[in-house]
Amino acid sequence: MTNTNAKVLTSKEGIFQKGDLASTLRTILPVIGLVVIFLLFNFLTGGAMVTRFSLIINQVFPIIISAMGVFFIMTMGGLDFSQGSILGIASIVICYVSKVAPIPVAVLAGVLAGATIGAINGFFYVNRKIKSFIVTICTMFLFRGLIKYLTTNSPVAGNANLIYLDTLGFKLTITIGLLVIGFVVFRFTRFGTDLKAIGAGEKAAKFAGIRTNRTKFLIYVLSGAITGIAAFLSVIHIGSVTSSGGNQLETQILIALVLGGMPIAGGAKVNFLNIIVGSFLYVILNSGLNMMGFTTQMNQLIQGIVFLVFVFLFADRDSNEVVK
Amino acid sequence: MSEREVRLQVRDVSKNFGVTKALQNVSFDLYKGEIHALIGENGSGKSTLTNMLTGIYTQEEGKFILDGTHIHSKNQVDANNHGVSIIVQEQGTLDGLTVAENIFLGHEEPFVKFGIRNTRAMNKKANDLLKEYGFDKIKAQKMIDDYNFEDRKLVEIVKSTYFQPKVIVIDETTTALSQEGREELYKQMKRVRDYGGTVIFISHDLEEVLNMSDTITILRDGVYIDTVESKDVTEEDLKKLMVGREVSGNYYRADYGEKVSDEVVLSVKNVSVPGQIKNINIDLHKGEILGIGGLSESGMHEVGKAIFGASFDRSGSVELADGTKINDIPTAIKHSIAYTSKDRDNESVVMNQGIGDNIVLPSLDELAVGKVFESDVKNNKFADKYAHEISVKMVNTKQFVSQLSGGNKQKVVLARWIAKDSDIVVLDSPTRGIDIKVKQDIYQLMDQMRKNGKSIIMISEELMELIGMCDRILIMKDGEINGEIQRSPEVDENALIAKMV
Repeated sequence: MTNTNAKVLTSKEGIFQKGDLASTLRTILPVIGLVVIFLLFNFLTGGAMVTRFSLIINQVFPIIISAMGVFFIMTMGGLDFSQGSILGIASIVICYVSKVAPIPVAVLAGVLAGATIGAINGFFYVNRKIKSFIVTICTMFLFRGLIKYLTTNSPVAGNANLIYLDTLGFKLTITIGLLVIGFVVFRFTRFGTDLKAIGAGEKAAKFAGIRTNRTKFLIYVLSGAITGIAAFLSVIHIGSVTSSGGNQLETQILIALVLGGMPIAGGAKVNFLNIIVGSFLYVILNSGLNMMGFTTQMNQLIQGIVFLVFVFLFADRDSNEVVK
Repeated sequence: MSEREVRLQVRDVSKNFGVTKALQNVSFDLYKGEIHALIGENGSGKSTLTNMLTGIYTQEEGKFILDGTHIHSKNQVDANNHGVSIIVQEQGTLDGLTVAENIFLGHEEPFVKFGIRNTRAMNKKANDLLKEYGFDKIKAQKMIDDYNFEDRKLVEIVKSTYFQPKVIVIDETTTALSQEGREELYKQMKRVRDYGGTVIFISHDLEEVLNMSDTITILRDGVYIDTVESKDVTEEDLKKLMVGREVSGNYYRADYGEKVSDEVVLSVKNVSVPGQIKNINIDLHKGEILGIGGLSESGMHEVGKAIFGASFDRSGSVELADGTKINDIPTAIKHSIAYTSKDRDNESVVMNQGIGDNIVLPSLDELAVGKVFESDVKNNKFADKYAHEISVKMVNTKQFVSQLSGGNKQKVVLARWIAKDSDIVVLDSPTRGIDIKVKQDIYQLMDQMRKNGKSIIMISEELMELIGMCDRILIMKDGEINGEIQRSPEVDENALIAKMV
């Protein structure tokens, strides 16, 4: 411990320059990657990227919205693997409620369902001091099981009128609205600073007057609630929920954020842009590979390699924080 | 004195911690069969030197030549194999292991046959050793956790001397021991000397140094000053050599007999924390520097946390003059209480964050435009102002705190609370591991704050700074306040030690 500290301190200058370079790389590389991959696939698929852009953007909505919540969680050094199950449960709730109540009430119910699961995550993580990835993997399985049970006989369908809301303009408005609010709050209020401080050093953040436990709990609730809205957009697009509703969303979010340059341990180096760039990068990579006719196996293999490369590039080995 | 044989040659040893030069080209010789004291103010590089010798720190420049061979210890076990051992200042035994396992840590080979450890043989050997040393009350097979700090130090003595080391470093161990424990340690030091070993003895107690050692080497600010024979010098000579020229009157406070205001700004009433402190009652006055001293385990560090509302399971009350009760950290900060922890890297600074963010953190609410929106420009200006006011050595405020030296980290923490303009400042070990220049800065800053009507509680293991800075010193022992000493030029370390142990 003392040894490594001493080493780090003596080669201070070097590390400082390296750190500067790494942070520039972290911001620039995903943007370049996005442009390159878009152009590359557009060329390879004979312009399909542009002609079928609506297909891509529809995949982006749920990921980009729920990724915002996970971005907040990861900023403060946590993880969340239960997002897919939250989306599934919230979708089912929205479908059920939409048949007996007005749609805004259904949306509210979905948000509440998401927030409730988030609160369960937060309770075990904060009050029972269990590492977040363990807690959320548990709730992922728990609620995935519930989704499968609820959809055993047939997919859960929502109110038929939901489909009429499925317009690009409506979904775009909601998504952009949420992102703008998220950005302003994260960047221009103490909310973002607090989260970053917790991620960079929780104990010290507590001693600087941040209510760390309360913040951590509320962020899990918030993240669940946000995913409730993502579930709404997903429901109006598909119209019903099957047993695989929201399946794998958690890994898609994680990959998207890392591709976007998000440091896994969170802290001071995160950037709100990570969410947007990463979500698009992931979806374009995924659909591009599909459009080119790769098999699912091959597609996953390539994604795995790209993911590893990005993790390698962005791993913050200096701070080497343990993910909580 | 008869012809002496050189045991260890220290040659051009240097070590930097970031911008702090902890050691600069230190060279001197140590001989066989001598107790060689190493003295100097805190931060003068004594521990840095011995930690490099014993493999706790990595060596950078310079050489240690032991009996003609250049040694480069990779870790403490490696150092032991070279015949060098150390009894450290802090706790040197590991929790969760038995006494025997601690004694033979890293040297279990003699007890291992076919890959299986013979625990009985190991315990027996350890018990024999403990008996030989006269520490019969300690049982080798018991967990080390069952023993208190002092007994654990005795185990450390066995651990580091049973194999007849060529060189043993005793780093500031005596302050942690009772008179009885000290006698045991002295006995072992003499034993090592008698078989021709070399003892490197680090102590702040100059009287003890003169009594025990044959030779004394003085370091100041990481620079070698001189090596003298104990019989040729007095305590006064040593002090002069240690402190040197430029640090004189205005190092600590110079004033005596100044009346402290009667106005109580904070009262601690019957505060207890299970297993840490019992029934602590303190009244802090306006413009007062109140010291709290004691052994590290006396509970004094917990008192600071309790006042700041950071203790777990605290009972009793901490109250401001206006009756506000302080029960949690945000309330404490809101009511102008500041706290710097002894555990600087974990509890004071957010390491992986910029200097600027660290400074503005508690002031974010006040800085917010319209109570909600943070302005980068405004916050940066604020951080810049206070970082410069207290002269933090940095590239800019964007630089990460993890890249700063200990002294500069402490300055960042102080800048944070000065920026917050806190009226009650609780400083736990504010100068721990900090070099002499920054220390002086901190002392001057405290004096200035006092004059501006701020009240300071200084918790410290360094008796000299308590004596030098405080209007009043509370001494703690076993979780309770065991005495109070008023500021006076006559107070010396012994008066405090008497109440500590």
